[in-house]
Amino acid sequence: MELLLQNLGHGFVVAFSFTNLLFALIGALIGTAIGVLPGIGPVATISLLLPITFGQPATTAIIMLAGIYYGAQYGGSTTAILLNLPGEISSVVTTLEGYKMARNGRAGAALATSALGSFFAGTVATVLVAASGPLLTSVALSFGPADYFSLMLLGLIISAVLAQGSVLKSVAMVVLGVALGLVGTDVQTGQQRFTFGVPELSDGIGFVSVAMGMFGIAEIILNLEKPEAREVLSAKVGSLWLTREEFKRATPAVLRGTVLGSVLGILPGGGAALAAFGAYMLERKVSKGRHLFGTGAIEGVAGPEAANNAAAQTSFIPLLTLGIPANAVMALMVGALIIQGIQPGPRMVEAQPDLFWGLIASMWIGNVMLLVINLPMIGMWVKLLQVPYKYLYPSILIFCCIGVYSLNNNVFDVYQTVVFAIFGVICNKLKMEPAPLLIGFVLGPMMEEHLRRAMLLSRGDPTVFIERPISASMLAIGAVVLGAMLLPNLRKGKDAAMSG
Amino acid sequence: MKINEKDIASGILLVLVAVVGAYLNMDHALGSARRMGPGYMPLLVFVILGSIGVLVVLIALFNGPDPMEKWTGVDTKSLIAAVVGGLIAWQIASRFFGEFFTSGYNGMGFGLLVGFLIMCWAEGWRLMGFVCASLCVFALLLEKGGLVLATVGTVVVASMADTQHVKKPLGVAGMTIFLVALCWWIFIKQLDIRVAVWPQF
Repeated sequence: MELLLQNLGHGFVVAFSFTNLLFALIGALIGTAIGVLPGIGPVATISLLLPITFGQPATTAIIMLAGIYYGAQYGGSTTAILLNLPGEISSVVTTLEGYKMARNGRAGAALATSALGSFFAGTVATVLVAASGPLLTSVALSFGPADYFSLMLLGLIISAVLAQGSVLKSVAMVVLGVALGLVGTDVQTGQQRFTFGVPELSDGIGFVSVAMGMFGIAEIILNLEKPEAREVLSAKVGSLWLTREEFKRATPAVLRGTVLGSVLGILPGGGAALAAFGAYMLERKVSKGRHLFGTGAIEGVAGPEAANNAAAQTSFIPLLTLGIPANAVMALMVGALIIQGIQPGPRMVEAQPDLFWGLIASMWIGNVMLLVINLPMIGMWVKLLQVPYKYLYPSILIFCCIGVYSLNNNVFDVYQTVVFAIFGVICNKLKMEPAPLLIGFVLGPMMEEHLRRAMLLSRGDPTVFIERPISASMLAIGAVVLGAMLLPNLRKGKDAAMSG
Repeated sequence: MKINEKDIASGILLVLVAVVGAYLNMDHALGSARRMGPGYMPLLVFVILGSIGVLVVLIALFNGPDPMEKWTGVDTKSLIAAVVGGLIAWQIASRFFGEFFTSGYNGMGFGLLVGFLIMCWAEGWRLMGFVCASLCVFALLLEKGGLVLATVGTVVVASMADTQHVKKPLGVAGMTIFLVALCWWIFIKQLDIRVAVWPQF
């Protein structure tokens, strides 16, 4: 406990340096902005800003990128409540009760609930990350290559199962991602694989190009296809204060949402969106005001909003302790760390204490900033919505171009991005989810390395994966999860949860 | 008939990737389970990918209907024209157009640009055509033309994707000037990336 406080103290010293504070603020501001704006999400934004972080110290870069992710959770709820327009997928459920509350004249209360609930959940999640980090790390250090392989396999399975749409196709996307990760120089023999003699491919397909093409550019093309339907609101925000009655009803919902969100965030493949859906379902079943759902129940705002913010933060746990990304945003964080020359994994806590504890402290500071950014300044963000998409998308495009180019100072990366943009559009048309592909792409090369090492150690005996208890239990969980998805009832439940 | 066309197409795509990948993988030594060669993991991946692809196709025969978006005749024609035109433009540019197009990826980029612009004739491809073309314009212009020229080119081409922009050239001009200034301020002034600002001769 004492050590924890000492470490956290160190983290706050790091996070309170001027640069880190500034970039936490910049991250929080950008996050809120893209959270408010529909049509551009954290994945696209973070991949957009990855190249820019190149010149920054690793800690500063990660602090800023993290701020974007949880900032987006705050911003997304604003438009959901005021305009019935989810800025992010994770705030889809907030529209259900939040917009009703706004129409009842309680928009201010809904916004305050969402911001305060998020802040509370963020604080709890921060403590959780701080406490569980070193604990999990010490467990992770006893992992052998076989355990790692099985753990990553489990992560891939869960991320495929929890993705939207068909499980089979999501698994296929994961495998496709792993296949894309094969391109480049084989680490052990130095042989070029699938590079077609292109020197730029010998380091592998550019991670930023894949992410930016499939999430940034493809999304622009798809957004432009839909006619813009954004009405400028006339709704009044009203008083931000909650009544005593509202406060009484919201508090338990926030608590439940925080717990559920924290758990779902740690899960591989989980993350903010899933947590929000889960919390909404929970509130509709157990909360005192469940009979009011559909008419503007405050629990329907408090629960999911707390949950999505808690999950946004706890999803850093598998990344920081095991080096395994839980969702597409965390996959981008791996990319950011690798660009900085840091291999994410259990050794990070010891090797990079500044980064680990600084990030945790900055999460809490970021949450305080977001509270200030969001509540008193709500009017400013609503104005941002009046910027039409036709002015927004050329700006995103040009930032993408410069960002991708400046990564290696090579135009090849720009052409590569074009290819993945087209691929992203094709995937969307065929209802294939791009997020599992990104996770597979990041985990693929690591999995190959661990597989080879495990098999070398076991002298080619594949039973090593079921002989080691950790590995065996991971594989068992994976099998159960996959098997469970074959049950029609469960699948229906998942589809219902995912479509809100 | 309950055929899921989207899934059939996805399955075929997966199988195709798996087959091509496995074929290319024949160059790599497989090794043994104990000492895996560079070809071991790829083979594993492509076998799994191919099997899933087949499974997706089989299931798709029953879980539809989910029809694909219909292509018009113009869509198909312009796609073929774009591929052919792009390839021809690439070959011509990289052989006869002088030093700029023979170096690096500029010849290929020019071919891509021509291809994407041809695609824009069809209503269905217009958005994708212009957005992708704008990226190619950027890649072609940046190193010789500098950041300012590249930004102008990219923004102008990109804005053609939106029909509202086409009617208002003044709005596009204003946006272009604003973005040039913004990019200069962020990328040159603040981040100092190593890029020329003005054309290089």
